[in-house]
Amino acid sequence: MMDRYQVVDGAGTMSVFEIYIKTTPERLWEAITDPDMRAKYSFGVRTDSDWSKGSRYKSGVPGVIDIAEGENVEVDPPRRLVQTLTALWSDDVKAVGTSRVTWEIEPVGTSCRLTVTHDQLPADANSEVYGGWPMILSGLKTLLETGETLDTPGSLRYAGSSA
Amino acid sequence: MDEVFKALADPTRRALLDELFREDGQTLTALEARLPMTRFGVMKHLRVLERANLITTRRRGREKLHFLNPVPIRLIHDRWVSKYAEPWAATLSGLKQDLEEEE
Repeated sequence: MMDRYQVVDGAGTMSVFEIYIKTTPERLWEAITDPDMRAKYSFGVRTDSDWSKGSRYKSGVPGVIDIAEGENVEVDPPRRLVQTLTALWSDDVKAVGTSRVTWEIEPVGTSCRLTVTHDQLPADANSEVYGGWPMILSGLKTLLETGETLDTPGSLRYAGSSA
Repeated sequence: MDEVFKALADPTRRALLDELFREDGQTLTALEARLPMTRFGVMKHLRVLERANLITTRRRGREKLHFLNPVPIRLIHDRWVSKYAEPWAATLSGLKQDLEEEE
């Protein structure tokens, strides 16, 4: 079993985000990988992929804005997903280059602990690239526990947009 | 949620969070050097913050690093602050956006 406290290949600046959500690992995995569910707590942004190891994914609102893209480096449902991430929504965030996002799901009692580790960032990385995680994870918790979407300012920024 | 409010109710613990916000992933030794407090005192405060899930720890090589977890603060925001303060804040950020788009 992997020691979750040990940073593997931990290079560059790293941020760790943790949240407890009352749900099953399977539902949580679905909420992360289903494009329509994902859009409900990610500013209205879809993430499309076939979720096989080594496949590509793309996040955005088709015809409106590209948000991010990358590779699914490790895919182990419903426990672990490791992705590279290149942010695309502005020239400033594009300049940050490619970083890494690791999603880890662990059952704790009747809940799950979800940890999102965003690392391999340059030391001076624009905080926009990793600053959205608390809002995304709060929205994910709300969606899974209540079926509702957050409506705080910004949380539905691209919801309902289309080309 | 009670544990988060309790953890935030202490000025030293808020100073520790500010310190990790300034520079994330610090060791106990680095944090101790920043505060007028014994190593034992800093450890005690870090434990309260960790129990409230406001910080997490990771090992990198031989070092134990402390990371700020801002998610519980976001949950407080979405549950409490937005309800009471945001009709106003939303108007202001809408105004800011309108002004920026006019430029």
